[in-house]
Amino acid sequence: MAFFDKASPVLKEILLKLYSAEKPLEIDHQIYEFGSLQYHIQASASEPHHAYLSVSTSLQSPGVLTTDGLQNCTLQNLKRIYSDVIEVIEPPNEGYQLTLRIKFSELPQSKDECIKIITEISSLQAVIVSSQLKKMLWNFGSQDTTYGMHKPIKFIYHPGEPFYVIRLAQKITVIFPMRFKENSDIIIATTLFQELTDVGRSRKFAKAPPCTWSPIPPPELRGEPLEDLSTNGGFVSFDFFSRHIEGKVSKLDKTVWNLLNFYSYVKQHVKSTRGFIQRRMRKKVEHLSEILQKATLTGGEHIQKTHKGHGFKKKLIRLSTSKMLRGKCAIFFNKIRSRIKIQGFERFRRKWLRVPKLYSLRRYTKLD
Amino acid sequence: MNFPCQEVERHNKPEVELKTSPELLLNPVLICRNEAEKCLIETSINSLRISIKVKQANELENILTKRFLRFLSMRAEAFQVLRRKPVQGYDISFLVTNYHCEDMHKNKLIDFIVQFMEDIDKEIYELKLSVNTRGKLVATEFLKQFL
Repeated sequence: MAFFDKASPVLKEILLKLYSAEKPLEIDHQIYEFGSLQYHIQASASEPHHAYLSVSTSLQSPGVLTTDGLQNCTLQNLKRIYSDVIEVIEPPNEGYQLTLRIKFSELPQSKDECIKIITEISSLQAVIVSSQLKKMLWNFGSQDTTYGMHKPIKFIYHPGEPFYVIRLAQKITVIFPMRFKENSDIIIATTLFQELTDVGRSRKFAKAPPCTWSPIPPPELRGEPLEDLSTNGGFVSFDFFSRHIEGKVSKLDKTVWNLLNFYSYVKQHVKSTRGFIQRRMRKKVEHLSEILQKATLTGGEHIQKTHKGHGFKKKLIRLSTSKMLRGKCAIFFNKIRSRIKIQGFERFRRKWLRVPKLYSLRRYTKLD
Repeated sequence: MNFPCQEVERHNKPEVELKTSPELLLNPVLICRNEAEKCLIETSINSLRISIKVKQANELENILTKRFLRFLSMRAEAFQVLRRKPVQGYDISFLVTNYHCEDMHKNKLIDFIVQFMEDIDKEIYELKLSVNTRGKLVATEFLKQFL
């Protein structure tokens, strides 16, 4: 998944706009997010207190979607979270897996609470996406064999980013096959994976799920298709025991959300580290060029000239308004002057005002 | 010293690069700490070429060195003495001609090259440490969420 924040910012903005509008608004928006989510939000003036929100996801995980919409667990979760404010409409709009009626009249009077509820509604995709994994982790320890034991279940919440969940008697193992486009990304990410393994082993993080990284597929994935097991970044596994899941509902929510965001977390780290390296190199190059500049006899005029074209010596010049106006006037008058032609001046200039060409001694002329 | 080409009239090229006449070349000096860290100084009548091979102990150092030296090479015009393409077997090369010596203070030019050699190792080492530290911090923050 490509998001850290549960709430969709666009959806939240539209819902807040509808909520705070003095006059009833006519809205019909289709929003696409992360290439796998599609929202359709409708509001009409004839129904001022209602808005209709339809959601469609192209999740490819087996069992996430039933033929006619979302799984029961997802619907139950939705009803539990938003029971007062939303109503699930059945059947959903054509082309969508879920349609909800949002009742603005049921929202509480306090503005803060309303914003909180709207934020929760905006995080609808998070509820849909995490329901199945949440149900699987919730049933950990029970004899429920819906998902099978020892059999890896493949989850694909984003194209090209599958992960496997293997349910064992004592633990649940989540395995992430890591793929990267560039070699440098692999090395930066590998550093992170090794640190995850080391930090997880420390006494301070004894309660955190143990993490392991291996460049070869773990034995649990034996029998899976070869294209899924061919990675360039290895495999990261997390082992979850009952203590990581049992207890508060928020704890389970957090665990599931962290797992769904693991790919994004790694990608974000790689991206920011690359940026950091680039910034640092830029600074160092500037420093080195300054040293060389000092070495020039002319006080580095030549070097400054070359720097100007390359961006890393850019300086912002703030001009006063009067100076800017003066500059603009000068450009304007120059344009006018260039259009005024004096007859015979060009011939005069060529004859009398010609500057002789001076050849540099350093210039090489190839002999024929 | 300004020394025009002996073979082509009105040509003045760095002899260390062209190697047209062996009598204009001096003996090269190779300073080796080990196979992975060395410096080659090639001299001629009108130019000097210094090539450096930077230590790359592991993959991270290797990638950081490559990136840094590529970054420098792409900005070679800002460093007049930097060669855009290093000599084969080395990571970075400098070419100092008689014109550079005329334009610059010789002692400061030498200082620059020495400082560059000192800084490059230090910079790569510091970058490596920073990347590892960032990795550790990010890993800690991620695992903290499960506690």
